[in-house]
Amino acid sequence: MAIQYHAKHAALEGVVSVDEAEALQQWLRDQVLPAVHLGLCEHLHAAVLQVLLALRPKLIGVPLDHWLASALGLAPEGDPTC
Amino acid sequence: MNTTELLDQFVIEARECLESIGQRLLEVEQDPGNVPLLNDLFRSVHTLKGNCGLFEFKPLESVVHAAEDLLDRVRNRTLQYSDQLADALLDAMDYSTELVDQIERQGKIDETSAGRSGPLAAQLRALLVESPAADAPDFHVTSPASPASPNQAQKADWLQALQSDAANGAAACSALRYTPEPECFFKGEDPWRLACTAPGLMQVHVGTQQSWPEGDALDGLDCYRCNLVILLLSSATLPELLVHFRCVPDQIEGVDLQAALVQQADAVPPPVSPGELVLQRRATALWADQKALLARPGLSPGALAGAARSLRGLLCAWPEAAPAREALAALPQPTPASVLLAWAQQQRPELLVPTEATRSSTSTVRSSSSDEPGADRQPRVLKVSQDKVDRLMDLIGEMVVAKNSLPYLAQRAENVFAQRELAREIKAQYAVINRIAEDMQHAIMQVRMLPVGTVFQRFGRLVRDISKKLGKEVQLVIEGEDTEADKNVIEPLADPLIHILRNSLDHGIEMPELRRAQGKPAQGTIRIQARQESDRVIIEITDDGAGINAGRVREKAVERGLIPADRASSLSDEDAVQLIFMPGFSTAETISDLSGRGVGMDVVRTAVERINGAVELSSRAGQGTTIRLSLPLSMAVTNVMVIESAGRRLGVPMDLIVETVRVHADDVHHFKSARTTVLRGRIVPLRPLNELLALDADPLCNAEGEHAVLVVRLAGGNVGLLVDQFHGASDIILKPLDGVLSGLIGFSGTALMGDGSVLMILNPKELL
Repeated sequence: MAIQYHAKHAALEGVVSVDEAEALQQWLRDQVLPAVHLGLCEHLHAAVLQVLLALRPKLIGVPLDHWLASALGLAPEGDPTC
Repeated sequence: MNTTELLDQFVIEARECLESIGQRLLEVEQDPGNVPLLNDLFRSVHTLKGNCGLFEFKPLESVVHAAEDLLDRVRNRTLQYSDQLADALLDAMDYSTELVDQIERQGKIDETSAGRSGPLAAQLRALLVESPAADAPDFHVTSPASPASPNQAQKADWLQALQSDAANGAAACSALRYTPEPECFFKGEDPWRLACTAPGLMQVHVGTQQSWPEGDALDGLDCYRCNLVILLLSSATLPELLVHFRCVPDQIEGVDLQAALVQQADAVPPPVSPGELVLQRRATALWADQKALLARPGLSPGALAGAARSLRGLLCAWPEAAPAREALAALPQPTPASVLLAWAQQQRPELLVPTEATRSSTSTVRSSSSDEPGADRQPRVLKVSQDKVDRLMDLIGEMVVAKNSLPYLAQRAENVFAQRELAREIKAQYAVINRIAEDMQHAIMQVRMLPVGTVFQRFGRLVRDISKKLGKEVQLVIEGEDTEADKNVIEPLADPLIHILRNSLDHGIEMPELRRAQGKPAQGTIRIQARQESDRVIIEITDDGAGINAGRVREKAVERGLIPADRASSLSDEDAVQLIFMPGFSTAETISDLSGRGVGMDVVRTAVERINGAVELSSRAGQGTTIRLSLPLSMAVTNVMVIESAGRRLGVPMDLIVETVRVHADDVHHFKSARTTVLRGRIVPLRPLNELLALDADPLCNAEGEHAVLVVRLAGGNVGLLVDQFHGASDIILKPLDGVLSGLIGFSGTALMGDGSVLMILNPKELL
């Protein structure tokens, strides 16, 4: 499992596949203050990505993949090549 | 041009087209996404179809037409290039080649072959229908450069949104909007990964197709319905991006930013037709003529008026030159010549008229932004049939011989007629003619030079077909295909090389599983390298296969009775593998259609030696085999040693000669009828040339009682030929024996000497 559900946040690690999208969505809906940890995330499937975009949980950590960070609005400003 | 000439031209061009089509098909198979390559391929097929239409070759046309339709679809990416498709197309091309052969032979197509065109065309068309993407819409490429796109004004919103927050928008080459279809997740697609891995990605922006639901409506959100819109900027060109997104052609919209920039940058001058250019050049020349006329002293009033009229006329030709025209009218009448000249010199027609230079610079920009082939800038190539060049070659050969008679003439003038002065003049003239003739010969030889790649071309297909048939994975690497050599050297190489390749494929490269088990990559590699080494062309064929098993070669050679068993066992491994060059050798247990008939490597050796080449083979068990062909650059001029025996002059090819020595009669050892001598510690058998030629005379010795011995290199070692006298070396043009003499053994040909005599050239290999 690439997602570890903790008490206060879900940790997304490595490559998160399409199968995890629904469970993540459900978990995020059940939380009062949903948060996800992305520090160890390498790639999200587009379905998971859109769950994050739609539900806008609190994001902890910046994903390893720059493009993913920028898609989630986490990219450091003015440095597109890092 | 009458019909036959037209037909000849058609055959030549059709062959060319087919050759390049075959080549391209294989290349496309390697790189199916290469758009220029596909376009090139399509163009070749299209040209061929057009040419067929010129004549009534219906069967040919129908097949080529079907192929064209198919390729058009591939080119438009509504059809995926596949193995099956490649096979069908290659089949069609084979059939077309057959038809073209028939057309060349008989001027028409056989009924029987014509019958096959229907099924072939149908087969191609079937592929057309089968394609799953048959009705898929085309790419939505919004190209601002094309006037046909009506949405130029509205292209902007998403593009601008993307560019506005792009600090580096200027460096971006293309932009793309990717709207995945809602059900895409169920097709196993990951739009996000596809977008992230786009080539040259510079910026990516993820938006939504419909805004996300808020509050409780979020419960209704289906996370497996894709609601994303991905916008991206890339430094890669639009075609590259389109290739990356080739699986979702109907979901993307691309903009070529560079093209847009170019479009904005040049205020596009109307294109100048070649006719206009000529007119302008003419006008500039006329203007200069008028100035020259006015500059002449003592000009008559009539001529002056004429010049003024010409200038006015010239100005009228250019609409841009209206102010200059007024200035001319404002000059006092009648205008003195000097005033008119001064005015004409001030006016520079080059400034009034866009010059060629400025025109061509703009046209370069235009051509780089468009894909149109610049037909008028292509180097001019003349198509000449081979026999015309061959005739030139023959003529220059005769010229060289004729020129060589001049020194003899000079000698005669001096010795017989005592005209020393005349002799010197003849020699001086000879030097001039000699230089020109040599240059000419060199130039004509250059014309006949062909890149060795012309032979290699067909190998791609061969390797592909055979490796498929055998179930092996083989990659063919060709290097140095630009190396040039004479056509007569290159052309006979095709068959030997095919033999070698087949051997490598059949015996050399192992099956993929076996290769993997041995720690080699599953895909075998056959490498053909060509290069020039001084005056030889070297072609090396290397495979990384199993190599030749020397033990098995020994066994087989003994089994087939090619050599006695005791000799076989005494051979080193290196020498043993050379046995495969013996006639009748084959290690294959069964006769397949590829090999095993026992006409293998000896044929290769004979063919290569016929063009004065040499074959070397080295093989390491388990690591592969290398076959090295060493070939002369040209066969036109042969260097021979002229010798004399029993009063006859004969030539021996220089490349066979090891040395010329004088051996004292006492040093010749007689053993029964055989003679030998010892040269540098090695025994060299001696054979009197007279005896070999069945001339009834003994070899002569010189005053010191020494024999003239010509040591030649043969396959079995060196052999000394006893001759009477050496006469030095000479460059000759070797004419092969033909007609009734063609069956003559022991001679490779004849040559005309400068004094008009005929020199017979020996072929020591056949002689001994």
